[in-house]
Amino acid sequence: MAIFEIASFGAIVVLVVLGLGIIASMMGIFNFAQGEFVLLGAYVTYIVHTAGLPVWLGMVAAPFVVGALGFVLERLIVRRFYAAPIVAMLGTYALGLIIREIVRGLIGGLYLSVPEPVGGSVAIGGMHFSTWRLVIIVITALVMAGSYLLLARTAFGLRIRASLENPALARASGISTNAIYGATFAFGAALAGLAGALIVPVFTLFADLGIRFLIQGFVAVMVGGIGSFAGPVAGAGLIGTLSAALPWVISPVIADVAVFVLAIIFIKFRPQGLVAGKGV
Amino acid sequence: MQEKGFSPMSQDANTLSRRRFLGNAALFGTAIATGVGSWVIPAGWANAAAGPIKVGVGTDLTGPMGYAGNADANVARMVIKDINDAGGLLGRPLELYIEDTASNESVAVGNVRKLIQREKVDLVIGGITSSMRNAIKDVIVSRGKTLYIYPQLYEGKECTPYLFCTGPTPAQQCDEFIPWLIKNGGKKFALPSANYVWPHTLNVYARKVIEANGGEVVFEEYYPLDQIDFSSTVNRIISNKVDVVFNTVIPPGVGPFFKQLSEAGFLKNGGRLACVYYDENTLSINQPAEIEGLASCLDYFKALTPEDPFSAKLQAAYEKQFPGNFLFAAGSAATGTYRGLKLWEAAVKEAGSVDRDAVAKALDHAKIAEGPGGPAEMVPGQRHCKMKMYTAVAKGGKYEVVARSAGLVDPKEC
Repeated sequence: MAIFEIASFGAIVVLVVLGLGIIASMMGIFNFAQGEFVLLGAYVTYIVHTAGLPVWLGMVAAPFVVGALGFVLERLIVRRFYAAPIVAMLGTYALGLIIREIVRGLIGGLYLSVPEPVGGSVAIGGMHFSTWRLVIIVITALVMAGSYLLLARTAFGLRIRASLENPALARASGISTNAIYGATFAFGAALAGLAGALIVPVFTLFADLGIRFLIQGFVAVMVGGIGSFAGPVAGAGLIGTLSAALPWVISPVIADVAVFVLAIIFIKFRPQGLVAGKGV
Repeated sequence: MQEKGFSPMSQDANTLSRRRFLGNAALFGTAIATGVGSWVIPAGWANAAAGPIKVGVGTDLTGPMGYAGNADANVARMVIKDINDAGGLLGRPLELYIEDTASNESVAVGNVRKLIQREKVDLVIGGITSSMRNAIKDVIVSRGKTLYIYPQLYEGKECTPYLFCTGPTPAQQCDEFIPWLIKNGGKKFALPSANYVWPHTLNVYARKVIEANGGEVVFEEYYPLDQIDFSSTVNRIISNKVDVVFNTVIPPGVGPFFKQLSEAGFLKNGGRLACVYYDENTLSINQPAEIEGLASCLDYFKALTPEDPFSAKLQAAYEKQFPGNFLFAAGSAATGTYRGLKLWEAAVKEAGSVDRDAVAKALDHAKIAEGPGGPAEMVPGQRHCKMKMYTAVAKGGKYEVVARSAGLVDPKEC
């Protein structure tokens, strides 16, 4: 029981951090609007649901809508920040703030429920497991595997890695790094949109949904190590599992702080993170 | 920003005269001077000798508490308009000043100071969270030398002179409710709570009432305010075979918490959910099946409208003036705001002036015969309000009133 619950929250954090990690690792910028992409994914699902269409349709649409928006934002705004990562943080933070407050206005600051496409729970030996959380674990595994294959095994993935490692050489080899950056950012945003769509039935829709995961996400990326695909994923798994597991053994208020303290101590002794170096 | 629609001045503004132009320009100037986030609703007939009486509202129009603050501001607009339409107070019109406290205490102090120092209001009503009340009460009451009415249900123990509370206290929300829960749920209580002052203080009182009525608290635990995963909590509730979950976890955590609880089979096994801030706003957080049977105890539910003609009239008037997301509900202090303003109106009438001491003296024993959920009266010396209390249960996404207090319930404060 405990293991299932902890794994399901771990999977949720991995799902949320995946897009953040890809943008941070492959493009070298910290996207502070990532939480709001998660929120937008959730919001798209809610809109589709209130339009009377099935919820799963919203979940399919969310990554495409958010990915497209991510692409537009990268073209218009984010690309101007590549030279200055610190400014990029502020810029994306501002973007996030704008998106968050617009959504807050649209939903009237309320907390709204969105039903899951497959609801209820599976009872095994007197214990009830939430079906939807089970689905999330499975989808997270699939998305993780898919993203890994895309980055490690396809020509597109190779171009992304090339653009990260040596932009000048990549351009000289005929790769349009501009287009690659746009696509990567859109892909990261789409993953966030998917995460938002999948978690909204669990956590309800509210304007601060994304910000809740943003800090955890950044700690996960720091702990996991920037520069690779595996690093942030490993970090997210660790942070997610820790923050779900600690309240089982110590007071939740202390557990909340303890996760961050442990993360800081870990980074102090291993600044390069769990997975060092660049690559996939 | 200029609020329009309440003053005759804007209704027939299509005949533009020089005087009207100057009047509108003056209003526009005020709007600029008071800044964005301030609303001034002038009385339409500001020709009385003594000038208008100024009512200040400081509430959370933006930020996480915005859904409640906007409803409270709407209620104030409605009440002030009604009083003005009926000829004002003491022959003087009322003017409403609304400031945004932005769900942020440091912003709030500055904006409330504007109400006191620049507008020199005769009354401030507002504040939703206890931390907000604590942040602005000094600005209003001690340094501002102004009356303050706090309209929200809260943990009690606020005994500052010149500060009057018109929302329910722990005694009002527990004394009749907890015996009902023991009868209709069971004796084993769990108190999962958000880690701030309201749950801590309320739980001390609730525990006393639970134990006095033969129940027991098997588990009391506090969580960070933004925690949204409650698997360990749910596990302990199920494994301890808890009968009643007396919840003070707040949004955003409460939705996921109730969902996990129902997925773990708590409701199926006959468990009872209870949450004393649950009103019509919070019903939408979960799907109806996840909170089936949730019980709440408040001074008003919309479900009362078929049996209480005055509440029905009020509810209809509010919905007509303010259709949309901001509901007239008890948990967001909307009913407390109504009660507060009407009690203050009665006190000003009795005192015959807006002098702070005279009004406070009259407000100390003010009564209103009609209000949301019934009459209300101040308990002399307590600066808290006696009112009727109702227990309601959520069924299929709607409340059903299942119990009501015999008379007005004592707040038992101060």
